[in-house]
Amino acid sequence: MTTTSAAPSTTAIPEVVVNSAAPRPTGWLSWLTSTDHKRIGIMYIVAAWMFLVIGGVEALLIRLQLAVPDNTLLSPQTYNALFTMHGTTMVFLFLMPMITGIANYTVPLMIGARDMAFPKLNALSLWLFIAGGIVFYGSLLFSPAECGWTCYAPLSETAFSPSNGVDSWIFLVHLVGVSSFVGALNIFVTITNMRAPGMSWGRVPLFVWTMLTQAILLIISIPVIAGAVTLLLTDRHFGTHFYDPTNGGSPLLWQHLFWFFGHPEVYILVLPGFGVISEILPVFSRKPIFGYKAIVAATLGIAVIGTLVWAHHMFTVPLPFFLLIFFMLGTYLVAIPTGVKIFNWVFTMWRGAIEFPVAMLYAIGFLATFLLGGITGIFLATFPVDWQLHDTYFVVAHFHYTIVGGAVFAMMAGLYYWFPKMTGRMMNEKLGKISFALTLGGFWITFLIQHSAGLSGMPRRVYEYADVNNLGTYNMISTIGSFILALGVLLTIINILQSLKNGAKAGPDPWRGNTLEWFTPSPPPVNNFDIVPRVRSVEPMQDIRRQIERQDRVGEEAGVAAGS
Amino acid sequence: MTSRPAKNSILFGIVLIAALLIPAAGAFAGILAPESGGGTPNAEGIRSLYLLIFGLGCVVFFGVGGLLIYTLSKFRASKGAEAVQIHGNNRLEVGWTVGAALLLVLISVVTFIKLDQIKNPPNSSANGLSSPQNASFSSGPAKPDIPPNGRSLNIDVNGQQYLWRYTYADTDTNNLNNVFSYEQMVVPTNTTVTLSIRSQDVQHSWWIPELGGKFDAVPGYTNYTWFKISEPGVYDGQCAELCGRGHATMIASVKAVSPAEYRLWYASQKAAIVSAEKQAATARNALVAKDAKALKTAPSAPAAAPAPVAAADGKKIFVAGVPATGALACGSCHALKDAGTSAAVGPPLDVVLKGQSAAMIKASILYPNKIISKGYAANIMPANYATSLTKPQLDALVNYLNSAVNGK
Repeated sequence: MTTTSAAPSTTAIPEVVVNSAAPRPTGWLSWLTSTDHKRIGIMYIVAAWMFLVIGGVEALLIRLQLAVPDNTLLSPQTYNALFTMHGTTMVFLFLMPMITGIANYTVPLMIGARDMAFPKLNALSLWLFIAGGIVFYGSLLFSPAECGWTCYAPLSETAFSPSNGVDSWIFLVHLVGVSSFVGALNIFVTITNMRAPGMSWGRVPLFVWTMLTQAILLIISIPVIAGAVTLLLTDRHFGTHFYDPTNGGSPLLWQHLFWFFGHPEVYILVLPGFGVISEILPVFSRKPIFGYKAIVAATLGIAVIGTLVWAHHMFTVPLPFFLLIFFMLGTYLVAIPTGVKIFNWVFTMWRGAIEFPVAMLYAIGFLATFLLGGITGIFLATFPVDWQLHDTYFVVAHFHYTIVGGAVFAMMAGLYYWFPKMTGRMMNEKLGKISFALTLGGFWITFLIQHSAGLSGMPRRVYEYADVNNLGTYNMISTIGSFILALGVLLTIINILQSLKNGAKAGPDPWRGNTLEWFTPSPPPVNNFDIVPRVRSVEPMQDIRRQIERQDRVGEEAGVAAGS
Repeated sequence: MTSRPAKNSILFGIVLIAALLIPAAGAFAGILAPESGGGTPNAEGIRSLYLLIFGLGCVVFFGVGGLLIYTLSKFRASKGAEAVQIHGNNRLEVGWTVGAALLLVLISVVTFIKLDQIKNPPNSSANGLSSPQNASFSSGPAKPDIPPNGRSLNIDVNGQQYLWRYTYADTDTNNLNNVFSYEQMVVPTNTTVTLSIRSQDVQHSWWIPELGGKFDAVPGYTNYTWFKISEPGVYDGQCAELCGRGHATMIASVKAVSPAEYRLWYASQKAAIVSAEKQAATARNALVAKDAKALKTAPSAPAAAPAPVAAADGKKIFVAGVPATGALACGSCHALKDAGTSAAVGPPLDVVLKGQSAAMIKASILYPNKIISKGYAANIMPANYATSLTKPQLDALVNYLNSAVNGK
């Protein structure tokens, strides 16, 4: 203090009081060691999109092989490895991490929490998933699994799949399974314990509700698949015979265990999608969600019934007759809450003032696509009809309509919706709309015609087919569609990369959102919120905006009064 | 309430589209509905059930889709448009829940009505095969459903990587003399045919689209289905459950012929088997007699060295087998450069026999299941060479293989 000591001033010196905050670390090492839910979420999403590109290239190779009848582009071995990797990648390495990534980023923000309940566990989840991906793709160096993503025993036993590809698949399921299990616990604890003051269960955003339900489904089903693949591992290497019929084991045991996980897995993928849609539709219709309680009830109902219908994947194996009926009726029951949701969504838009940014377009694309996927589900739930359609391209079309329509489109909507929050920049709407049109159009061209291929007798997982019943035409259409779809996805990737640099500044609340994540700057600071507002409804941001308006009015009136 | 007329016109449009589509489904089989044409009642039942769900599905799809499009075009944001802050409508929500449930009840009821036609085999017609055997291969508590009058033809369908083998039930207890065929199954029309479906390696799935649903061949289990074809013809299908690299080529077909033709076919097959059995028995007896004689005449002498058998004879056996005794030709399953064969049912011998001793080659022929090459299954190669080849023939074959592969 060499300056002259001034006499104590009588007037207050205006100053900005800042809580001391360490500068946000930068550099790649700070990302790798981060336990910040936002950075982990972004790493999840980036890794998931890398796997999407890989899985997409695999899909294009599959479609190229099937473009013309009796094609010899790929060998049967390569083809089988490709569809195994495609299915496994899209389920375990793209969709699940993509959902986890978006949830990781948004759930703490939506409930007004500072971070996840267990930040270090959160980082562990991320790195286990990435390890799973590396272990699985490591099998490219020897020979990848050829048993499909369902890896039915005894085909997956050493006698018929001697290469280590199946083992790397098993380790992938283990690693990704532990990752998901730990992640689910984390999400569950975060949502149940860390909600903003006033956010009772009736005020929890619907996406958060679906993530909570998904976490429960994961906690129920992951241990079962972990056990199933462990038995397969001991069968393959330690002389057990759990699935080996020549030594008293049962191939049906594998199927029951696999589908006890595999069917809830479908809801693990689509329920968060339902949640995203339930967030986006009200915002861009400028209306509250229609039937909040009904949607929550339907979510829980789908989860409960959904864990009890696994054997509808097994209608063609020898099962007691009453089981066929039980699983058929059970599956019908799932259709009811699902149908309820679709009506709720349509009526959310009814008499609204609907805007059409890309996020909303994807949400609408979701509605139309998932609607057809749900309807074809009724065909397959009816077991005599399933006897005809099972394991054909009809089923391939059906599950792409539900999974891509139900989960991928919803996640695309979520990406376009939350990108401004994550990066602070808007995505390019024009490019986004072109990308959307190509993606949706390409999808329908690719998969609608596959129903017909299945009805014309084309089983799934065949590397070649004879040119009978117009199969050549159907498949050529499908292949053309797949490249349009791929172009659409490519444009979104370009859009993301461009917008990161050149996108318009977003500001905290570019969409006039309903939920708390729009209360904080974009991107949010490390601690998310300086103050967490008290939550009084499902749409806290609406309340806050109204309050500000009221204060402004009061202020203006006061100003007017003062001026007069 | 201004939207009432618009709503009605949409509803009308939906009904119109559905009404147009349902008959269209029949006209464009394969595009909108499963293949049909065999005239078997189960496939017909499944098809009509499919068409019902298809019709209802169209109504729901175009109904909800129409509502969606109407909503999106009618309520787009514009100047002065005010979003109505509705939170829900209990009556409406209960309404569509009940509506969805009713649709499903309707489908369930029709399914249960159709189930008898789809599941239970009917009697063979009067103009069907006159005396179909109702003997069957099934053992254990599970049995195929058989028609009420007990007259059906039972065929054992055995899936294996990558072909189907059909064994026809007959009335005796010897399962080795049954008529069998691969890939193409020949059946009589107007006769109820019950299938016992099993697998000897991995899971397969029996599926002929025009003859009804698919039924998985699960190793360790027996699955059952049936058909009763009224239209003669060939019905193609293929394995529908991933079973390995050859899955796409594991084809099947059912050839339906008149009962009279079927009887002829069956009799000729049976006769061929009986005569082959007889020839084999004669050959076996001759061998036994010869061995006994050899033992008697020179029990201790190291025997005049057998005339060295020329490798050329071995090549002949390799290429043509010994049909008289039932020794199948090696070359029909194995590739061998020297013999110019290229079949790939078994492993290529130039590769797997390279560097093997003569004794090892011999053992591989006599005990084919002892050592299995990677990627190939057991029980594919016949294990009858010990009896179907004489010792000199066997030696000639081993010599030939040894010289062809190892140059010795």
